[in-house]
Amino acid sequence: MSGIELRDIRKSYAGGPEVLHGVSMRIEPGEFIVIVGPSGCGKSTLLRLIAGLESCREGDILIDGKRANQLAPQDRDIAMIFQNYALYPHMTVRENIAFGLELRGMPKAQRHARADSVAATLQLTPYLGRKPGALSGGQRQRVAMGRAMARNSSTFLMDEPLSNLDNALRVAMRTEIKDLHRQLGATMIYVTHDQTEALSLADRIAVMKDGHLQQFDTPEAIYDRPQNRFVASFLGMPTMNFLPAEKLSERLGNSTRLVGLRPEMLHVELDKPLGPALPAKIVLSEMTGSDIIVHCETPAGRVTVVTARKHLPRGTGDCWISYDLDDALFFDGETGNRVEAAA
Amino acid sequence: MKPDNRLLTILALLAGLLFLSPVLYSIWMSFQTATAYYTGGFEFTLDNYGRAIGQYNFARYLFNSLLVSGLVTLIGITVATMAAFAFARFDFPGGNLMFGAVVATLMIPSHISLIPNYLTLAGVGLLDTYAGLILPAISNGFAAFFLRQYIRGIPRALDEAAYMDGATPLKVLWRVIVPLARPAILSMGLYIFITEWNSYIWPLVAVGDQDLYTLQVGLARLYRINPGEGPIDWPLVMAASTITLLPVIAGFVLVERHLVRGITMGAVK
Repeated sequence: MSGIELRDIRKSYAGGPEVLHGVSMRIEPGEFIVIVGPSGCGKSTLLRLIAGLESCREGDILIDGKRANQLAPQDRDIAMIFQNYALYPHMTVRENIAFGLELRGMPKAQRHARADSVAATLQLTPYLGRKPGALSGGQRQRVAMGRAMARNSSTFLMDEPLSNLDNALRVAMRTEIKDLHRQLGATMIYVTHDQTEALSLADRIAVMKDGHLQQFDTPEAIYDRPQNRFVASFLGMPTMNFLPAEKLSERLGNSTRLVGLRPEMLHVELDKPLGPALPAKIVLSEMTGSDIIVHCETPAGRVTVVTARKHLPRGTGDCWISYDLDDALFFDGETGNRVEAAA
Repeated sequence: MKPDNRLLTILALLAGLLFLSPVLYSIWMSFQTATAYYTGGFEFTLDNYGRAIGQYNFARYLFNSLLVSGLVTLIGITVATMAAFAFARFDFPGGNLMFGAVVATLMIPSHISLIPNYLTLAGVGLLDTYAGLILPAISNGFAAFFLRQYIRGIPRALDEAAYMDGATPLKVLWRVIVPLARPAILSMGLYIFITEWNSYIWPLVAVGDQDLYTLQVGLARLYRINPGEGPIDWPLVMAASTITLLPVIAGFVLVERHLVRGITMGAVK
């Protein structure tokens, strides 16, 4: 297990603008870190810098406390799983898994035994003699994991490894990756733009936007106490409602603040409730299974509510949206940063 | 795909025979005596081959051609593959300029470099040597250009995966790029081999010693043997031509599958 520290990492490509603007984070040995953010935010670039596939303009990358900026990828004791798996198409599954061991000079019998053992763990034994072209997407994904596992690396980097799989397989593989982390105890850094993967896998989540690290914290802290409006809106599905403060409560006065209310914290009432509520008109409702997503027009703007299906029939009409300001988060209307309720 | 029209099949066969007719005629001619040829008869003999190989030293020429073409192909394709890998995968100062220079060599007629090459090799004492035949041919701009384009089509993530697995750049080239670029490399190898095999002017200029003659130079000299002492011995010349032709046909058959794949690659997804 390796600890990794990034200190003020800046990266720009030749002739281009800066894409990472001073990113710093400290990853403890054995942690499962998920870097999440929209396309183009710099998350994959950050991963490639840690891998040694690219070099940074400024800043330090420390692996186990030692500066690793100049170390070649093969000298960093890091394994990587690529988005498109990057399996060698001319090699069999066994050769793919054992290739890293071969390059490290391990005798053939030993490395094949190791490859077979890894393949057994990943339920790939029947496919050891096949080439990647003859495997399904899920099997290829497993081979990519096996290739990383075979070397017993202390750190695993994963660049959107599930993005090419269908939904059912993605859910299954997510569980397998979590299990794998538990078994190996290795440090894992996982890049995704999928918030469900981020929330379900991570010990800590790094949220990035436009080359800046927005927040680096546990999933619970990120969800419950986002540092700014971007983090609040990026994690959570449907996204958080942001409503002008003065429209919700007179005691909030003419504040420029925005009130953030998660859709599951709001309630749709057909009759006016006793507590604070907004008159609303249901404009659209979406059935998602046990829940229903209700889109309403209110005097404060468009509001989305998630409620159990049994509590509300599908359709449109007038209603009330009740809320509790104790559940709300408050954001500065100009900077977007979260502020305390009393501020 | 089989043609479903019998007429089309017959026409295709006739066209094939038409293209092959000079070759078939020369092979047929190589098996008859000179006397029968000039009197319009036919008398089967293998003597032309015996004379070409023994009396006229074609065994030596064949050896020279195989050695020179083989080494030019081996060294040339190695140099071209390594250059293509560097141009395709590494950013280095002056890289684009160097690649531009390589492409520019494609636009220069080979005969223009004849005299500079001759003077250079004369200066270092390599005329009349195998090295003098081989060295000027080992750098092939077209092969470097072609292979660079092919390698650029191989996903870079494969290189990166190999680096993460612990490979050095040379290992990436040898274990990842070369196996994946094999059709293109074999196609270029055959192209270099045929070009060198058919090369006539440079071996004629660079070599005076008969023991270093290649087949093409030896074949041209057959026309000039015993000038003014009767007609050209065409059956003998055709036997020598057949000897010159056979290794190329054999080479083509060996790598034909890859050559066709190389030519059509990228045509379909």
